[in-house]
Amino acid sequence: MGGQILLIDDDLGHAGAVKTYLERTQYDVTIASCTKTVFECLDDFSWDIILGDLFIDQEIASRLSLITEARQPFQLIVYGPPEHIDLAMDLFDLKVVQYLQLPLNSKALDLSLRRVKKQLLQIRTIKRYSERLADLHNARNNFNQLFNEVPCYISVQNKDLRVTATNRRFKKHFGNSIGAYCYQVYKHRGSQCENCPVVQTFKDGKMHSTEEIVTSVSGKQYNVLTQTAPIKDEKGDITQVMEMSSNITQIRQLQDHLTSLGLMLGSMSHGVKGMLTALDGGLYQLETGLNKKDKARVDKAFEQIQTMTNKIKKMVLEILYYAKTREHRFKVMDLKQLVDNISRSIVPLAQKNNVRFKVTLTDAPGSIEVNPDWMEAALVNFLENAIDACSFDKTQKKHWVTFTVKIEDDDCICLVIKDNGIGMDQETREKMFTLFFTSKGSMGTGLGLFIANSVVKQHGGNVDVQSIKRQGTTFTIHLPRKQNNHTY
Amino acid sequence: MKKRILIVDDDPNILDYLESLFTDNGYETAVAEDAKEGLTKAGQIKPDLITLDIEMPGEWGPRFYRHMTQDDDLKNIPVIVISGLSGNAYAIPKAVASIKKPFDREQLLKIVKETIG
Repeated sequence: MGGQILLIDDDLGHAGAVKTYLERTQYDVTIASCTKTVFECLDDFSWDIILGDLFIDQEIASRLSLITEARQPFQLIVYGPPEHIDLAMDLFDLKVVQYLQLPLNSKALDLSLRRVKKQLLQIRTIKRYSERLADLHNARNNFNQLFNEVPCYISVQNKDLRVTATNRRFKKHFGNSIGAYCYQVYKHRGSQCENCPVVQTFKDGKMHSTEEIVTSVSGKQYNVLTQTAPIKDEKGDITQVMEMSSNITQIRQLQDHLTSLGLMLGSMSHGVKGMLTALDGGLYQLETGLNKKDKARVDKAFEQIQTMTNKIKKMVLEILYYAKTREHRFKVMDLKQLVDNISRSIVPLAQKNNVRFKVTLTDAPGSIEVNPDWMEAALVNFLENAIDACSFDKTQKKHWVTFTVKIEDDDCICLVIKDNGIGMDQETREKMFTLFFTSKGSMGTGLGLFIANSVVKQHGGNVDVQSIKRQGTTFTIHLPRKQNNHTY
Repeated sequence: MKKRILIVDDDPNILDYLESLFTDNGYETAVAEDAKEGLTKAGQIKPDLITLDIEMPGEWGPRFYRHMTQDDDLKNIPVIVISGLSGNAYAIPKAVASIKKPFDREQLLKIVKETIG
């Protein structure tokens, strides 16, 4: 089928002849010989070609001329007597493909139709192209958006390992690094990393994956899981490699935390089982003591239960401290009150162990900003250790523990805890703040001093230890009075 | 005549507990805080049964058991392992029972009764 032609001609004989001629060349022709029919035909159907004398009625010419070139769905070929052609040229100008004078020359008509056909084809092609172009444009926008919004660091690298493109998140944490070497940007190093996954992908065209620790512009370190993929040109050669890194820092931190928590629970379970058995024992003694009305047994049982309950309580609190994220709520409190609170929990323990306990505090010590719960727990822990050190010492000497608060200056205070207990050898002294280290066998958890030390550090302070075996130990704790910008 | 039980454990609280428990249920008891003392006492009193902890300062429970079985006078004494160590069932395979701390005292007494009456 050559196409749909609307033939406008009021000379029906002539129109019939043209129609027959055109149908021979596979066109489907409809004749409209009056204005009414022409208008109906224009309204009802979309034509490929409109052919004929547009000036059989001025109205037809006017109506067709109103259709703008861009929106014109059909091609125009005009024929007519010279005066009509002249008018048509004025009105339609380039909108008409060919002007043909009557009588029609069949060669000229054929040429015109062929030209129209060619133009129609071109128009269709252009239309198809512009549609595709719009699609491409959309696709590019979508890809750009995807590339930028992916919650990973994405970089594209060339064979020299220079960065050629990065996404938004990458720019945010590693700066605008186009042109820089990947290893420079990610790791601040001068040469390429060993087992670089990008290099491997360039070699074999496959995806590779590694886990890395990278450093951002602000100096923060992140654990990232890195995966690479090749980018190929139309010939299938790898021209660039895309590297996608997911930030797994939080997962790794959690994992570390869980690992040490597991280690801690494992190393403590033996002690816990012993304590629970001893608690059972205490309860049994209490029960049978009450049944037998044996006062001595009841008293002993009660004391044992009390000791075990305290031990278990302490251990549980230590585990809770460790298991919990340590977010500090600081509060300004009177230094004297802090010292009093601590002394109150230490005095009974000192008496029980026959240790003299002496507190020295200047008259107006002022205030200090601390997390009261944790700081009290930490200092009590140092003092308990001092008293333990005395009670473990089986020599006959008189034991004492002193707790002295010194005001260094307006910004800093110093707490000195001194005992004349068993003292520590160098190895114990070096390991004393290590997690799970204990010199007390199944009596200790290896958590107390670790936590006490980390509490002091989180307050911006430090702990200094002096100890001589068989003579005693001195803990010197420096603490700032004010806390600023702590983020724990 | 009362049956005699020797308790070997390094934790004084647990020694105390087991001693009361067995005495209250009609047994005679002796205690030892480590393997060495345990062997000496076993030789002296020839107990009818021994309860044994695994993890102790100095020699551990399994070593105690090996020394014990090398002594013709002691080698047939039944042993009950009472320990907080997980997997203690494999520590001394020939023990009449292995009980985990914290233990069920009715269960322990039942095993003792079944072993020595």
